[in-house]
Formats: sequence, C-alpha cells, structure tokens
Amino acid sequence: MKRTAIGAALSVSVLALAGGMVSAQDKKPIVIGITSDASGQYANSGASDRRGMMMAIEEFNAKGGVLGRPIKTVHIDTETTPATGSRVAERLISREGAGYLIGAVSSGVANAISQVAQKHGVIYLNTNSSSPSESGANCHRVKFVWDGNGTNFSQATVKTAIEKYGKKWLLLTNDYGWGHDTSAATKKLAEAAGAEIIDEILVPVGTRDFASILLKVQQTKPDVIAAAVGGDDQKAMRTQVAELGLGDKYAWINNQQDWPDVYGLPRDNLFGVFGTTWYYDLDLPGVGEFVKKYREMYPDTSMEVPGNVFYNGYWATRSLLEAIEKAGSTNSHEVIKQLENLKIPAKIRMQDDDAYMNPNTHQMQQTIYLASANAEDADNANALFKIIGHSDPESAKDTAADEACKLESFDDTPVTNP
Amino acid sequence: MDFLQNLLPHLLNGLALGLLFALIALGFTLIVSVMEIINLAHGSLFALGAYVAMVIINPGFADGGGLGSYYMSLPLGLRYVIALIFAPIVIAIVGFGLEILLRPTYGKKKEYGLLLTFGAALVLEEIIRLIWGPAEQVLLTPDAISGAFIADGMIYSIYRVYAMCFGIFAIIMVWLFLEKTPYGAIIKAGAHDSEMVRALGINLPRLQMLVFGFGAALAGIAGIILTPIWGLRPHVGIDATIPAFLIIVLGGIGSFKGAVTGGILVGLAVGLTGAYASDWSLLSMYLLLIAVLTFRSRGLFGKKTALEA
Repeated sequence: MKRTAIGAALSVSVLALAGGMVSAQDKKPIVIGITSDASGQYANSGASDRRGMMMAIEEFNAKGGVLGRPIKTVHIDTETTPATGSRVAERLISREGAGYLIGAVSSGVANAISQVAQKHGVIYLNTNSSSPSESGANCHRVKFVWDGNGTNFSQATVKTAIEKYGKKWLLLTNDYGWGHDTSAATKKLAEAAGAEIIDEILVPVGTRDFASILLKVQQTKPDVIAAAVGGDDQKAMRTQVAELGLGDKYAWINNQQDWPDVYGLPRDNLFGVFGTTWYYDLDLPGVGEFVKKYREMYPDTSMEVPGNVFYNGYWATRSLLEAIEKAGSTNSHEVIKQLENLKIPAKIRMQDDDAYMNPNTHQMQQTIYLASANAEDADNANALFKIIGHSDPESAKDTAADEACKLESFDDTPVTNP
Repeated sequence: MDFLQNLLPHLLNGLALGLLFALIALGFTLIVSVMEIINLAHGSLFALGAYVAMVIINPGFADGGGLGSYYMSLPLGLRYVIALIFAPIVIAIVGFGLEILLRPTYGKKKEYGLLLTFGAALVLEEIIRLIWGPAEQVLLTPDAISGAFIADGMIYSIYRVYAMCFGIFAIIMVWLFLEKTPYGAIIKAGAHDSEMVRALGINLPRLQMLVFGFGAALAGIAGIILTPIWGLRPHVGIDATIPAFLIIVLGGIGSFKGAVTGGILVGLAVGLTGAYASDWSLLSMYLLLIAVLTFRSRGLFGKKTALEA
C-alpha cells in the first residue's frame, strides 16, 4: 500500500514536471540574434562579448526563460566589417526570426547593424563599441549603447594628464570611425583644457609594423601621446613601443583598454594610463561571485577571469531580458521605454556608482575607471591592471552626445512583437 | 637639410621592412615558380612556424622533469637557435603533407589547387586555435637581440636590425642554393620546363614535394623572424599572405630577383608613406602594384608570355 502511494506520488511529480517542461518548451522561443565578430580585427573581443551574453541567457533559461518563453540564440559572424554587419542583421531579422540583436565591438559594424535594426524596429544592443558617435550622431531609437565611449574616457583623463605631463599632445588615431571620433573628442577636451595638438598620425586598420610611425613620434617630440588604436593593431603597437622603451619616454593615454586586447601581453607592454568600465578585481560586492560563475561556466577559456567586454555583453543582455519581464510584453516600444528608464544600483552592477540609461542618447552612464599596469604582482597573469582612480557618471558625461543625438520618434519606429 | 636628416631614418626603415617582406615572399615565389600553385596556406604555415618555435623556446615545453627540465635549463639563446633549425623542419614536413594532398589536383583546373590551399589555410588556423587558443602569445627572443639602441638621438630596435640582417642572410642563402648547387639547377629547370626535367629521368613528384617543403620551411622561418615584431595570434598568417601575394605579382611571378626587388619596393613605399602620409601606408603597396602592372603587366621581372614575344 505504502509502495503504491509512493509510486503514485512519484508518477504525479514526474507528470507535473514533464507537464511543466512541455509547456515551457511548447512556448515559442524568443530569438536573439547575436551579431558579434568571430573573425577580423575584433574576433577575440567578439568571443568574449558572446560569452557574456550567453551567461546572462543561461541564467534566464535556467529559471524558465522570459515571460515563460525559452530564449534561443542565433549567431552569425559579422567579420569586423560594416557591410557584413548590415547583411547579417538583415538575415537575422528576416530569415532567422530574431526579435532582438545584440553585440558589437567595432563602431563601424555597430552603426551598420543599427541602421538595419531601426528600419525593422528591432531593438539592438551595442554592447562594446565605444565611438562617441554611437550615442551621438548615429544614435537610434532602437539602439542602446552599453560601453563607456571615447569622450567618457577622455573626460576622465585629459585634465590630469595636462597638469601632470605637459601641453604638447600627439594623437595616434586608428583610421576608422571609433578612432576618428575618439581622437576628435580628445582633441576638443585637450584644447579646451589648454593643450596644443602638435600632430595627428593616422594608423590604418591592419597596421602591423609601427616602425615608421614610432620614428615620426620621436621626431615630433610630444609630452603626451593620446592613442586611440584598438584590436590587433594595438597589440602590435604595444609590442613595438615596449621593445623601443618608448612606453616610459612619453606619457601615453590609451583611452579604453579592452581586456581581450591586453590579456596575455607581457606586463611591460601595458604602458601608460587607460580607461575601463570594469575590472575583475574591484573590491566591490558581488564581483567575486561573478568571477566564480564565469570560471564555472567557462573553465577552459584561455582568459581565466572576465574583463570589461564580457561584463558589457552580460549586462546588456541581462538588462534587456529584465526589461522584457518588467514590460510584461515583448512589444518593442514597451521594452524601449523600460530600457530608457533603466537605473541599476552600484551594488547590483558591481561598480562604484549607480548607473542609468541616458534617455536622450541611449548610452549607459556609469563609473569610468582609470588604470595602469600592475607592476607589483607581475607573476599573476590575471592581475594586469592597477586601478588608480574612478570618475562618477556625471564627471565623465559626454555632454556633446546630448546635442548630437536626434532619436527617431516612436511614430517613426516600427513596432515589433517577437 | 632638416628634411634629409628626417628622411634618412625612414628610408632605412623602409629598406629594413622591404627585406622582411622579401623574406615572406621567398617561399611563396619558389612554390609558384616550380609548381604553378598559388599556395594560400603560406600565411598559415608562417603562423605555424612561429607557434612551433614558441613551443621549443618558451618555458612550458616538456618541463615536467627529467630531459624536459634539462632542456629548459639551456640558455634562451640556444633554445632560439634550436627553434630556428627545427621549427622550419616541422613546417617542411607539414608542407610535404600538403603537397601530397595537392597531387590529385595536378593537371586539372588551377582553381582546384587554389581552393585546396585555401581550405588548408583555414584548417591550419583552426588547429592553431585549438592547440594554443585564440589569445595573443609571445615568442621569446634572446637578450642579445632584444631592446633598443640610440643613434643620432633616435631610438631603434635591436631586433629589427637583427631581422634585417637575417633577411639579407636568408636571401643570399636561397640565391646561392638556387644558383650554385645542382639541386638549385634542377629546381630552376623544373620551373622552366617540368616535362623536360621528367624526360631527363629526374623524379618530378619528389622534386615538387621537396620544393613545396622548402617553400613551407621558408614561410616558417619568416614567421619566427616576423612575429616578435607583429605579435603572435592564430590569424597572424593573413598579415603575411596578402603582401607576399602582392610582392610576387609586382616582382614578376616565379622570379627570385622579382620577389626581392618587389619586397624592397613595397617596404620603401609602406615605410615612407607611413612617415609622411600614414593613412596611405597600407594602400601605398596596392597603388605601387597598380602603377607597375599598368606599364608592365608581367611584373618587374616576370617571364615574357607568348603574346608579348
């Protein structure tokens, strides 16, 4: 009798569980199109970005998805190429049924994707591209930018650098959107603070040999070099600057330093000061658990700890899914309104200050950290950075973006209900 | 005077860069000339050479005790020399394998060989990614060829001077091999008329295999020399393939002299534009190619075609 009762209870439990699973699986999944680079200049950062997104999605799927619907992802390589970005976005929306697009490191690619997303009214999260134009002249109602931009980082560094190192500034600019926008922002801020821009050297994307550029740097004799060079170009530049010992000869301001771009480089290649939005060793609540979770989910990844690119990918995705839950609907206009009013307390986002979405530019306003190489713990491959200070969101704010950004009205933005 | 004083370091830098480009193009042109195959896996072999050298040089190789520990206790300079000898041998063996895979495409449309080497490039890059991961790696170099020196108030890289000297040495050695040894004569004959070489009783398949292996080894050597400057990552090969291809077209397909001259011209173009119009520096090599091909469609030292004769 007892055995029969246990059997019946088990059967009921199994049926209930199965029923639950069937109902969750039966519901139409929410399809997220991942538009991160898997090849080209930012392939490595794209992979890190993707891992961040997948961790957030995994968390939601583990608790039954969003609005009871499982989340499915489709990833197509955007190849760090704007033309491919457009094509991929179009395909993800039209053929793969993606209701949301997430991912970018290159600003050119992000801009291309966002134009397609705006045309279709599909929400797009620019996770990691930090050109000021992304939340300025190229902003869109459907696009939300999660990284700090070139102006934010320049705001945090320029004034101190002029006082400390001198007024003769040389700009090293990667010859594409992000580089030009970032250097333009640096130039504006530096000149306003009394610096003289003595030259600007353009670095074509794909440059591997910096000898002629570094010879010219020496002939120019600047006090400060403000470098907006990213990806593989930056890795090659760092190696060659370190080889010549020029890292100590000039004051280098390296704008933002993405974790995948520097992870694995020798410590002496990490010269100068640079910005970041997050570091795995911040002494803040929740950071340890976040790092632990990353290690559990990605035990075989060569990057043993998460960096800013992973962090942005994670937070963008998590915030979108929370916004859908909060809106109680996948209606794009309702979700956009939730994201425009997004506020995240510092202790939840693991930063020093509360973060909020600027409703006028759709850029996340957050703490900007200043860092240099950590010379004290040279044997620890992960302990690359030494955080030397931070600016709150208001001090680092890109005020020019508020003027430059003209968001499309809701009436001009198609409604989607994925 | 100031202009000339400023120009001189850039001219020397362009020349150094040109010799490095020539080094990359040597193996490429050798395979094209003898086998008439454009080896798109050249860049991947370049990268693989550097990775194999990294295994031989950097700590971590078989240092689990015994012989491994003894090996790692050897001076870095000695490990570097060992890598310079053995890594190209490993890449030559990979080249032999690739040539065997290519054999079914001989006598068919050229596109088959091209596609096979393109596929091989992707496979090799993925193998590198699987074994060593996608992150940036560092190829250690001995102290004697690291660091910088000051001349006329400017700081120069010692490694760059070494790389330039190595480039000159490698070019001379390959030239001596091709011009002064019976093996070189056979290779040149094979490039000129392979059927005649076969008719003379020379084992053509073995010659082709050796040439492919030799070309692959040269790609591996170029990888070992260049990656301490460019950095080491799985897709570094693409940075070598494009200039190599461009240089052999510019210099004339199959011409040793053309590869060296083309390399130096490309180096000078990139180096000088890098100094005075840096945004044009990468584009300059393509403009140079267009300029040369406009007036001389077979490249600087390419063979005359039947139409031109």
